[in-house]
Amino acid sequence: MLLTKAGSSARWRCSSRHWMLILLTALVAVSVVSLLIGAGSVGPRQVLGLLSGSDHAEARFIVWELRAPRTLIGIAVGVALGVAGALLQAVSRNPLADPGLLGVSAGAAFAVSLALVLGASAATLRIPVAQLGALIGCVCVLSVARLRGVGSDPVRLVLAGAAFSGLLGSLSALMLLYDQRAADEIRFWVVGSLAGRRLDDLWAVLPSLLIAGAGVVVIARPLAALALGERAASGLGHRPGLIRWLAVGCVALLVGAATAIAGPIAFVGLVVPFVARAIAGPDIRRTLWFCLPVGPLIVLTADIISRVVVAPSELPLGVLTALCGAPVLIAVVRAKRLPML
Amino acid sequence: MSGVALPHTSTAYQEEPSGQAVAVPQGYWRAALPSYGVSVLLEKRAVAVNIGLSAALMAACVLYLSLGSVTLSPNAVVASLLGQGDRMTAFMVQQLRLPRLIAACFTGAAFALAGVLMQTLARNRLATPGIIGIDNGATAFAVASIVGLGVGIAPPAMALAGATTAAVLTFGLAAGSGTQGYRFIVAGIGVGAVFGAVTQLMLARVAIDTANAAYPWTVGSLNARPASAVQLLGIGLALGLVAALALARSLTLLRFKDAIASGLGTAVKVRRLQVLLLSVVLTALAVAVAGPVGLVALIGPEIARSLSSARHVPILAATLAGALVMVLADLAGRTLFAPIEIPVGIVTAVVGGPWLLWILMRPQRSRP
Repeated sequence: MLLTKAGSSARWRCSSRHWMLILLTALVAVSVVSLLIGAGSVGPRQVLGLLSGSDHAEARFIVWELRAPRTLIGIAVGVALGVAGALLQAVSRNPLADPGLLGVSAGAAFAVSLALVLGASAATLRIPVAQLGALIGCVCVLSVARLRGVGSDPVRLVLAGAAFSGLLGSLSALMLLYDQRAADEIRFWVVGSLAGRRLDDLWAVLPSLLIAGAGVVVIARPLAALALGERAASGLGHRPGLIRWLAVGCVALLVGAATAIAGPIAFVGLVVPFVARAIAGPDIRRTLWFCLPVGPLIVLTADIISRVVVAPSELPLGVLTALCGAPVLIAVVRAKRLPML
Repeated sequence: MSGVALPHTSTAYQEEPSGQAVAVPQGYWRAALPSYGVSVLLEKRAVAVNIGLSAALMAACVLYLSLGSVTLSPNAVVASLLGQGDRMTAFMVQQLRLPRLIAACFTGAAFALAGVLMQTLARNRLATPGIIGIDNGATAFAVASIVGLGVGIAPPAMALAGATTAAVLTFGLAAGSGTQGYRFIVAGIGVGAVFGAVTQLMLARVAIDTANAAYPWTVGSLNARPASAVQLLGIGLALGLVAALALARSLTLLRFKDAIASGLGTAVKVRRLQVLLLSVVLTALAVAVAGPVGLVALIGPEIARSLSSARHVPILAATLAGALVMVLADLAGRTLFAPIEIPVGIVTAVVGGPWLLWILMRPQRSRP
């Protein structure tokens, strides 16, 4: 009995290793495609020529100054949003919890708009302000989730989140109507896009991503214990309250960083853990590992499509994530029994 | 059927041939036409609510016509409406402000009527057309006709097609789980998100000028209101109101369980379909004028329900309250931050969002 169990577990692990390999390969492939394809006139052939040693000034500029930073930022945003979604779902025990849907991203965007209207410059303050906004949004969402009646119904929480982010979105729009300067500074950021972001943005958020990563490493095991229930977790020597607060802090750091670079993007935090869970099963530790390749994969794919569909102009990334995320939302909601976390 | 003359078929209150006095239930007035042998019961509270809302709407309309970049006195407004007063005032009131006021009244009334119908149909106070994605469907199709994807059909017709598509999708996707739970609503939010993204997609494809022209479509505004669409909405609203009042009795019964409703003599499936159709058509026509200002469909019926008794579905009160909310919201958007004009969709979102959250947060009550 024990032997067969060990054998099946080993086989399972092997298959999950295969999955990881496949995903990583796909990620590399998508990254290369992201370098090759764009809205501009530089096509795959010129890029391949550049990579094999030819020297074409325009192609060199476009690939190394525009597309490569964009790809790296896409990877960072995908990782941040995917991991944040998985954490938020584990903490709120709600398979529909997505930072974008629940209003965490909207909180970050609102905070940035508010800071801009109050006179801050977009270049300096954006990241800490966005993270603070995300933290406040997170705390709001989770305190709502702990209300009696709302927390036991995952779908109701999503509805409250949608109402919350709708409200924050229109408040931001209102402030931007009022303040033309802020609107000009923020217009291309508030729709959610990876276009025109520079590598400096990435360096600016890297510290908080690293801190959040360290936090996730620390709380992964306690979170897995928390999935067994609060009593079991405290019986195993963890402190549920502390774990939750740490997780919320990590989510705020990650979502704030991602929103500060790319603007509010919904549905990524829903789809990525959904896919990762389908591959890895219910264990949060495995899910988190699989979020690492799946997140960038989805964000980069959406970004490439957003460049190609309406060339020579571009589509906001949030539009595409909504197009592929909403069906997942509907599918989860339609399931006879919602998967309980 | 609040406060509306409704032929009462129950024998107990029918005019007796002998003309003797009939007991009138408490809280009702009985209006009778003895020579025709017809009598109706009017609920006192509903009559009062409707008269009060009408008066408030009139006052709001006068206020709407007098406030703006040039402030007029209410007397001057009324005078110029009656064809007196100087020509400048007459031009301002009749050419500039009146058409917009009419559009505001019509759209608000249509949205709220559609909302109260849909809420009753789904037995769910959150199931307004805006929340379950019908607004966004209509918007997406209307924008498609405006940015001209080789479609030469007028926006109202396209909005109708879009609203129908979205309604079919939402109700179809919710077929398994019924319409009462929150799952139905979230499925609708998903459908709405897809259509919203499609709208963005189309706006991104066109030149920046066309996109600017189509911007009101994404938030909801009374700035770009095609006259033909307003006329169509007026006709549709009049017919829809009559139809809704004719359906009032069935609507009151549809609030109960299917078994009870059909036991009391309602053809549940047929009535459902009629109510759904009415709601979708009204939403589409209103969206074709003002874009997605969906939260009026939540606020109007809420006000009407809180004022009226729970005996009936407050159709007329909801319609009046919707028009009132829309007029006040557009007035606020025009004047509060002048010279900047805030689209009416943003005003209603800022006001209606907290309201929606409050409905969600408070403990459940069974009243739809």
